[in-house]
Amino acid sequence: MDLNHSSRRFILTIASVALAAFMSTAHADDYADVARLTKAKQFSEALAKADQYLASKPRDPQMRFMKGVVQNEMGKVGEATTTFTRLTEEFPEIPEPYNNLAVIYANSGQFDKARAALEMALKTNPSYSTAHENLGDIYAKLASKSYAKALQIDVASATAPSKLQLIREIFPTTGTDPKQSTSTQASHPVVAPLQPKQPTVIVAAPTPNNQPQVAPPAVAGALSNRDVTSAVTAWAQAWSDRNMSAYLASYTKDFTPSSKQSHEVWEKERRLRIMGKAHISVKLSSINVVMGANGTSATVKFRQDYKADALATSSRKTLEMVKSGERWLISKEMAG
Amino acid sequence: MSSRFFFSFTHLVIASTLVGTLWHSACHAKSKGRPQPKETSTSTMQAPYEAETRLIAIYKMIGAGQAREALPLATELTRDFPTFQLGHLVYGDLLSMQTKPVTKLGELPSHLQKTATAAPLAELREESLQRIKALQERPAMGTAPSQILGLAARNKHVIAIDASKSRLYVLENGSQGLRVILDTYISVGKEGIGKYAQGDLKTPLGVYYLTTPVDPKLLAPLYGGGALPINYPNPLDQRMGKSGNGIWLHGTMPERYSRPVKATDGCVVMANPDLQKLMAIVAVKTTPVIIASKLQWVRPEQNAAERIKFESVIASWREAKNSGQADRLYSFYASDFQAYGKSLDAWWIKNLRDMGQIRQRPVQWKDLTILAWQTGAPDKPTNVMIVTYDEVSSNRAQSATKRQYWIQTGTQWKIFFEGSIAAS
Repeated sequence: MDLNHSSRRFILTIASVALAAFMSTAHADDYADVARLTKAKQFSEALAKADQYLASKPRDPQMRFMKGVVQNEMGKVGEATTTFTRLTEEFPEIPEPYNNLAVIYANSGQFDKARAALEMALKTNPSYSTAHENLGDIYAKLASKSYAKALQIDVASATAPSKLQLIREIFPTTGTDPKQSTSTQASHPVVAPLQPKQPTVIVAAPTPNNQPQVAPPAVAGALSNRDVTSAVTAWAQAWSDRNMSAYLASYTKDFTPSSKQSHEVWEKERRLRIMGKAHISVKLSSINVVMGANGTSATVKFRQDYKADALATSSRKTLEMVKSGERWLISKEMAG
Repeated sequence: MSSRFFFSFTHLVIASTLVGTLWHSACHAKSKGRPQPKETSTSTMQAPYEAETRLIAIYKMIGAGQAREALPLATELTRDFPTFQLGHLVYGDLLSMQTKPVTKLGELPSHLQKTATAAPLAELREESLQRIKALQERPAMGTAPSQILGLAARNKHVIAIDASKSRLYVLENGSQGLRVILDTYISVGKEGIGKYAQGDLKTPLGVYYLTTPVDPKLLAPLYGGGALPINYPNPLDQRMGKSGNGIWLHGTMPERYSRPVKATDGCVVMANPDLQKLMAIVAVKTTPVIIASKLQWVRPEQNAAERIKFESVIASWREAKNSGQADRLYSFYASDFQAYGKSLDAWWIKNLRDMGQIRQRPVQWKDLTILAWQTGAPDKPTNVMIVTYDEVSSNRAQSATKRQYWIQTGTQWKIFFEGSIAAS
C-alpha cells in the first residue's frame, strides 16, 4: 500500500489478544451485522444494533469501538471522541482507539493531541504500523507548522490544506487464524483487512489468513522461495524507479485493493500517485516467504522502508502472491 | 519505535564544525543549570537570555545524538517563547528527525522551499551561528574591553557591544574589578556597522554615553519594552563630519523575540527581557556604551602602562590649570577645538575667567573615567581619549561633571572638546 499523506486509517484489530478474550464466533455475527450496516451507510441502524448488543455486554470493546466508528461517520465527533477516550481509559493496552482518537484530533487540526494519542498507541504496541504511518504524517505536519512560525510565513499556507478523509473501517467477517493468536506474534495485532471508502487510499482487500503455515517439500520450496523473493524485489525496484509498466505488471490482472474499485481505476490512481513524486525509494528487509501448500501461492512478509520527497516511513507489509505461468504476481497487499 | 524511523542524528550538522566543538566543550554556564520553564509566557517575567540558554542546550543534545530527548525540551521552549523563531526552527528539525535524517539546521520540506523562505532561513541560520560563536568565545574572567583605561567608582556599569559576535555585554564595576553580568545577542544595522551619514542604515562605532531614555509609553510597538538613546554623534563624530541621530538601544516588536543579525536602521536591538534587565541597572548619562567592530578583552595590567602614561598627561593639564599658567594651559587645546558650537578663542575667554577664580580657590578633581578609542585606518590609527571627571571647588561645595575629548598627534595630546555634562 502506498503512504497517503492526507489520510488517516481507522483500523480495527480482530486478532489482538486483548480483544480475542471478549470475542466468540457467536458475537462475530453481530459484529458483521454492524459492519454491513455501516458499510451500507445505514448508520442509525448500525448504531441501534450496536446499542442493542451493548445493552447486554456494555463493556465489549470491539462493539464499542465499532460504535465509535459509526458515531464518527454520523458526524457525532464529540460522541465518537468520548467513546474512543473511554476505551483508552478502560483498555489502555489496545492501541486502535488511540489511533482513531488521533485521526479525529488531526482532522480538527489538533496535531499536538493527535501526536500524543499516536505515541500512546505505539507505547501500547510498538509495531503498530498504521500508528507509525499516521505519526510520521503528524510529525511532518507539525514540522511544517513549526518551520512556518520560524520563518514567519502564513501557517495555513505552509501546511498543505487538510484533505483528511476518515477511512471507515470495515470489519472482517471471518475469524482469525488460531495459530496467529497463539504464536509468538500474538502481542502484535494483525492489522485487519481494510476496505477503503475513499478510492484515493490504497488498502488491502480482506485476506483471511488461512494458508497453512507449513513449508512445502524442501528443494522445490527453496527454488520457489527464491523466485518469490526476486519477484518482490523487482516490484520494489520498479516502484523506486517509478517504472509504471513494470510496477503494474507485478500485480495480477484483476488486482484491486477494494471491491468498490476497479482494476482500471486503481491503475490510474497508482500512476498519479507514483508519478506525482519527484523521488521514491523503497527498500525491503527481513523478507520472510511462506509457501502455500500447492506451491502456487505464497505469503511474503517484510519491512518496507519507504521514502518519497519529504516523507519517510518504515512499516511492516504482507503480500499475497500467486503463480501465473512462470511469474509470481501480487494478488493482495496489506499493512502488517 | 526507534527501530522504525531514521534517527540519524549523527548526520546532523548545525554550523558544521562550530557546533561540533561547542557540543564537546563544556558550556560556560551563565547560570546554574537551566532555569525552570515559566508556567506561562509573559514578556515581562522571562529571565534574560533564558531562551538562548535553552536553545543551546537543545543544540548540544542533538549534537550528542539525543534528539528524542531534546524533542520535549523544544516543545517547552516553543511554548514558553512562542515568538522565538530559532526555537521553532529547531523544533521543526526535531520533528522532521522523527521520520527522516536531518543534516542541517532548518531543513525545510520541499513544499516550503521557495524563494520567499530562502532569505529568512539564511537570517535564522546566521543568528544561530552568531549565538553559538559568542558562547564559544566568551570573555575570560578578569578581563575587560581594552577601551576601559580607568573607571570611576560611580560608574557601576559599562555596556560593551561586539558587532563581530552580535553581542552586548554589561560589565559590573565592583570591588573585585569588572565582571560580565549580562551577555546577550543583539542585532545591528541592515548595512552593518561604521555609521557615517544619516540614513546609511549602519550602527555607529565609538565610545558613547546613554542619554535620556524614551518614555516607553510613547514608543511604537516596534521598539519593544523600551529605548535607551546614546549620544551619537558625539564630539569625535561631529569633528569627523558624521551625521544622523536617534541611535537607540531598544527591544523587539511583540511578534519577534529576537531579530536577524543585521536588521535595524542603525539601532542596537535586543530581546525585551534582556532590555528590561539592562534598563533596570544602567544609569542615564553615566553609563558608557562602547560599540566596537571587535572587542579586545584585556587584563587590567595589560593596559596599565597606557593608563599611567595618559594619567600623567592629565596631571600636567591639571597642574597648569590650578597654577593659573594660562599659556601653558592653552597649549593643551587643539586649534580646531569646538565646545557646543564655540571655537577655541570664544571658549577660551570664559575659561580664563574660570581660571581667575580657580587661582583663589583651587579645584579638586575626582571620579575620573578614561575610555580609549581609535579612529582612522586600522594600520595608522589615531588615538582618542574620552575623559569624564567631577570638578569640585573645595569651599563652595559645588561640583560639575565635565567631559573632555583628547586626540593624539605625534606624541602630543590635545583637547578638542571640553564641556559640562548636565546632571541627570
